Amino acid sequence: MDFSIRKTSSGSKKKHYSAAIIGSGPAGLTAAIYLGRSKIDTVIFEKILPGGYVTNIQKVENYPGFAEGISGEKLGELFTRHAEHFGSEIKSVAVTELNLDVNPFEIKTSDGSCTSDCIILATGTSNKKIGVPREEEFIHKGISFCATCDAPFFEGENVVVVGAGNSGVQEALYISNFAKHITIVECLDHPTCEPILLDRINKNDKIDLLTSHIVSGFKGDKFLESVDIKNVNNNEIKNIKAKGAFIYAGEVPNNELVKDKLKLNKNGYIITDEYMKTSKKGIFSAGNIRNTPFRQIATAIGDGAIAGHEAYKFLEGIE
Amino acid sequence: MGLISEQDSKYLKEEFSNNLKRKVVILYFKKTKDESEYSKQTMELLEELASLNENLSLVTENCGNEDKMKEEELTLCPSIKIKSDRMGFMNFYGVPAGHEFISLVEAIKDMGSENLSLPEDVIKDLKKIEKPIDIKVFITHGCPYCPGAVRTAHQFSLVNKNIKASMVDANYFRELSIEQGVSSVPHIIVNDKTGFVGNVPPEVFLDKIKGALE
Repeated sequence: MDFSIRKTSSGSKKKHYSAAIIGSGPAGLTAAIYLGRSKIDTVIFEKILPGGYVTNIQKVENYPGFAEGISGEKLGELFTRHAEHFGSEIKSVAVTELNLDVNPFEIKTSDGSCTSDCIILATGTSNKKIGVPREEEFIHKGISFCATCDAPFFEGENVVVVGAGNSGVQEALYISNFAKHITIVECLDHPTCEPILLDRINKNDKIDLLTSHIVSGFKGDKFLESVDIKNVNNNEIKNIKAKGAFIYAGEVPNNELVKDKLKLNKNGYIITDEYMKTSKKGIFSAGNIRNTPFRQIATAIGDGAIAGHEAYKFLEGIE
Repeated sequence: MGLISEQDSKYLKEEFSNNLKRKVVILYFKKTKDESEYSKQTMELLEELASLNENLSLVTENCGNEDKMKEEELTLCPSIKIKSDRMGFMNFYGVPAGHEFISLVEAIKDMGSENLSLPEDVIKDLKKIEKPIDIKVFITHGCPYCPGAVRTAHQFSLVNKNIKASMVDANYFRELSIEQGVSSVPHIIVNDKTGFVGNVPPEVFLDKIKGALE
């Protein structure tokens, strides 16, 4: 059993900060490190757990420095401690509303409100639902988006994983520690995961990969019992018995706070320039929430460094 | 080195020193003659925690002591209840390991202080509740969303003596999880009947509890 700890809330009732970061994933925490080293008074808001979505990942193998891999939980903890080390305050509360039309900007949270001279949005993405019949009905009743949370409930059962990208395949490998059999369903005619992960599922007797197939429906009484799988080439449907289905079929941006306040692209991601500046002066964005071509921990770290540095320049009036 | 790293011990000593303004008791009900690693590690962890501040102490009881279990209003074993002279029912059925360790630390800090981080209107509404409410938050150790739900439930118990809040390790209490239809966490069960899933904001948490009571 693991007993390590992360600071979750300072309990501070401070009312004004020079910089506020919303989201404590790799992008937000890196920005905090750069701001902290520049002696900028910084607060980070996190509604789940410091470390952000990374803490959901069973094993991270493509982040430099950890050739043998590191658990997402541990990596998130290391990032968090690093940000704290340079003085950032982490508040475990959800931001509920932003007012970007005033100076300083107003931030409302579930625990009160405060103001900040600049804001870095690093709210990331959430897993996308696939929008097929009875999906909503079986969410939390067999359908899950978090393997580290829910895989143990499917010990000895058949499970379907939707999506053969890195996330789907990596989580399928983790779920295979519990489930009897896993079918990965991929709509394309090839998996999009890294070849090294493909090698692993090919060697895993518990996992089958079905390309050119989509999930067309979920079936069951009170809980999920089976999944309809459709062949996209001939429309043939077959039914697979499965008590669990884990969905990793793309992402949606967590843009609720700013969707009518900043320029977004057609998919809802925040548009930034190469300096991570958004359409509003003093508001920066970094990581998976912005219009980036590749959403990875490593790219989020790069975004965070630029956003932190640019926010510092903005606060100091350096052009 | 013990179960808690030197770095974490240092941090916890500071946190407890800043927050524990009253005596806090960690009341551990252990299984009779349990020699499992689960039980040994739990005891080791709690002993290490209790040694970090003079206001913190560990009391061990046996689940076989039914009168004592009843007196503490506990129904499952093992159990870790955090007590002080502050109103509140903060309990853990099973071990708060992994992400849940933070919930244990927060419960100790809350019980030893005047901390309450709930919105004013939620506090006002919670005070009006007159029926007994038993909140069980089913968790798994790998769930990053669960500590938030456990903390909200525990904080609710600080506002109204009719509210009892317990974390439940869904893997350890597997039969109970199946019986309650838990297949995703955090799964919150109210009065052993209905419930909801997710780490939701306090005002939504309260609405869902009220809904479950209707």
